[in-house]
Amino acid sequence: MSIEPGVGKSKRSADDANGKSFVGPEDLRGYDPASALSVPGSFPFTRGVHRTMYRDKLWTMRQFAGFGSAADTNERFKYLLAHGTTGLSTAFDLPTLMGRDSDDKLALGEVGRCGVAVSTLSDMHVLYDGINLGEVSTSMTINAPAAIVLAFYICVAKKQGVPLDQLRGTLQNDILKEFHAQNEYVFPPEPSVKLVIDTIEYCTQHMPLWNTVSVSGYHIREAGASAAEELAFTIADGMAYTQLSIDRGLDVDAFAPRLSFFFDVHNDFFEEIAKLRASRRMWAHIMRDRFKAKHERSWKLRMHCQTAGVTLTEQQPMNNVMRVAYQAMAAVLGGTQSLHTNSMDETLALPTEEAAKVALRTQQIIAHETNVPQVADPLGGSYFIEKMTDEIEAKAYAIIDQIDAMGGVLPAIDRGYFRRTIAESAQAEQRRIDGGEQKIVGVTDFVEDGTHDMEMLKISQDTEDKQVSKLKDIKAKRDVAKHQAALTRLREDANQDKNVMPALVEAAEADATVGEMMDTMKEVFGAYGGGPEW
Amino acid sequence: MVSLAPEPIEMTKPTKNNQPPRILLAKIGLDGHDRGVKVLARSFRDAGIEVIYTGLWQTCEATMYAALQEDVDVVGVSLLSAAHLTVMPELLRLRKQLDIEHIPIILGGIVPKEDHAALADMGVAAVFNPGSSVDDIVGKVKQLASMHEPVKLEDVVDGYAKRKQNALAKLITSVQRGESVEGFEPPAGDAVVIGVTGAPGVGKSSFIGKLGEELVSRGKRVAVLAIDPSSPITGGALLGDRLRMMSASPEREFFVRSLASGGAAGGLADVCPDVLKLLTGFGFDYILVETVGAGQGDVGIRELASHTLLVLMPDSGDAVQFSKAGIMEIATCFVLNKCDLSGADATQSQLIGAVGDARPIFKTSTLKTEGIDKVADFIVTLS
Repeated sequence: MSIEPGVGKSKRSADDANGKSFVGPEDLRGYDPASALSVPGSFPFTRGVHRTMYRDKLWTMRQFAGFGSAADTNERFKYLLAHGTTGLSTAFDLPTLMGRDSDDKLALGEVGRCGVAVSTLSDMHVLYDGINLGEVSTSMTINAPAAIVLAFYICVAKKQGVPLDQLRGTLQNDILKEFHAQNEYVFPPEPSVKLVIDTIEYCTQHMPLWNTVSVSGYHIREAGASAAEELAFTIADGMAYTQLSIDRGLDVDAFAPRLSFFFDVHNDFFEEIAKLRASRRMWAHIMRDRFKAKHERSWKLRMHCQTAGVTLTEQQPMNNVMRVAYQAMAAVLGGTQSLHTNSMDETLALPTEEAAKVALRTQQIIAHETNVPQVADPLGGSYFIEKMTDEIEAKAYAIIDQIDAMGGVLPAIDRGYFRRTIAESAQAEQRRIDGGEQKIVGVTDFVEDGTHDMEMLKISQDTEDKQVSKLKDIKAKRDVAKHQAALTRLREDANQDKNVMPALVEAAEADATVGEMMDTMKEVFGAYGGGPEW
Repeated sequence: MVSLAPEPIEMTKPTKNNQPPRILLAKIGLDGHDRGVKVLARSFRDAGIEVIYTGLWQTCEATMYAALQEDVDVVGVSLLSAAHLTVMPELLRLRKQLDIEHIPIILGGIVPKEDHAALADMGVAAVFNPGSSVDDIVGKVKQLASMHEPVKLEDVVDGYAKRKQNALAKLITSVQRGESVEGFEPPAGDAVVIGVTGAPGVGKSSFIGKLGEELVSRGKRVAVLAIDPSSPITGGALLGDRLRMMSASPEREFFVRSLASGGAAGGLADVCPDVLKLLTGFGFDYILVETVGAGQGDVGIRELASHTLLVLMPDSGDAVQFSKAGIMEIATCFVLNKCDLSGADATQSQLIGAVGDARPIFKTSTLKTEGIDKVADFIVTLS
């Protein structure tokens, strides 16, 4: 089956390291280990951000979870903390992710389904009830309404008497990849990014321990991008946030150390390891040379990884355990700081407790049985890995040059560049699969008849009904004058291009809902219907 | 792997005009996972199918109204939110209510095997799970399309006279397919036909969507003909204009039909006059014809339209291009869209210079819904 010119995503071209049956010193001519690699923990951090890597500190096993009402999730948080967890990870439901309240028309059937429903500050109080925010680190996976959720979190901390400069955690807050891939945007690109910069500015001033943005390649890859595209788009997005924060008047060394990254770990084992290594080298050079960051902390790319959900198959789902294990191993060999392993049943439904446990055990086996964590970057110096790292880096730089030539990430979004490129790559992959060039065990080959007998998680409609009635109650009881005044201030601050964080905190305290704050900002920023689709 | 085993595939019955099969692809609800639907959209195009994609965040109601107006051969729904047992019954209920039960609905996404029988029983024509091969899906769509019967005039003439949109939609399909509509002559109407043209990316579709809404809110009846290019190789097409015009309340007098430029043997020019006649006779006040982009395949449309709106955007340099192409001369008025972007004022000054006469120049922003009312004020003075 032919592939369109320009699509050229077939990975096995003869020039690539992957196209050769072996790679030797002649393929690395002119290679200088001192500048390309250095030692772990030193510029350009190809071999890792710490000198001893996992020998002193294992990666964080951060399993993303969330379901039902704030009370349900709070109970789960307390259970996890009681069993030694120090980091909480919060998944929100789809309406919340889209900045809509639980009683919104489009929220029907979605409340509490794939995460916790948070519509008001009251929900947030319940979510973290009895948990000292001064002692835990909290990751919150949310984007378009990220600033609002951060305002809620600040309000909870204030009520607990925890100073803001002690708050530790991560807000995903990466709106650019929503335009490229995940589609959870609300406002047009420019004001959306302005909100991100507002949070960066606010946190830099008040919450220095908070990771402001988790610049994410994961969703870009899952939507169909190649490894090089994932790498390039993610780094380009990180550059865009950096430039805009500098334009806002922030010192690069004040905010850069609090940017973190999030990558997908797919099936092509060595390519993924090369991608993670290349990402660190690229970021170190870009921060030092392009943005003139002076502190080593600004040069280090710290990352979270997740195994590739898109590689899981519904057919013969037990096979997914093996896929996840190899991907997790690649993440560890690539030097990740944090890892989520997918559950074998995630292509069928939300994971059952049993499946989620196997996923966690997979990481624990790598950590405690394989001895792999004993040495930093064990593959460093392999002809093949170094060649792959160089190649993917070169491809990514070429893509970043293209984006620069379009005027940067925002103009490229407006031209539909990211979505089109990702869609083309996704189609090219589908063609390789349909053409027999790319095999999927249990799907294209080694197919079995019959269905799986996997137990699946079911979620009740009960949460939605309770959540909607609670929301009605809050709306009926709140101080109307205070509520209106807070939304008016929010509208004015947005209109005058001020940082909206203080206004959001005030609105949160006045019991304004997520949906109301989003709608108020929509009046000023407009709503985005999406860029060109193809 | 296909969950419902595909039946032997019949080739599409060739219509007189070689009209390719038409499918409407929809994502319903808040879920944004659109990788699958986009891969399919492209694959359908490459397999010679015309694809109307309605974009993200659609309601069941908007989707089925779109199916009605487009009178597609198949509706394909993508659902990865596990809402299939809520959404599919609602779609099927609407299909019955709207009297378009001739249009089969297929489903793709994460659907547990145990639900397949229930879906088949309620009337879903096929279910495709992750891992299904594109060839199988394409085969099923072509087979379903081949079962789309020619329109019987006696079934639709009455409905058309009573201003039923599904009758109008079916008649347009007849014209597209080159079926005989002999003995049927729509009444003469007095619609104002307005061509809307401009370079790709200036936001023509969004602008037409907003303008249409504005005119409808003033009590006008509005139809849109949205024309996108066909693939010269496969004859398939991605018809993406409609997704910018999905109306919040689809029951109103706002009719949108997507056409592929190469859908008919003789090109658009053969089909368009008849389609416009049908729309005019139906009683629309305004018919907005969105063309592929200035100078590309929109010849003929301009002869059919009594007015032309030229849409531009800031800093595009389009004015220069259009001056060369002579399109500036024929425009009735100019719409400088995307005025939320910087450079709008400078472009406006250049444009005033380039126009050189009293023809109006409107500044609009479809993102912020600004300036649309002024354009509508002008439109209603046209005849």
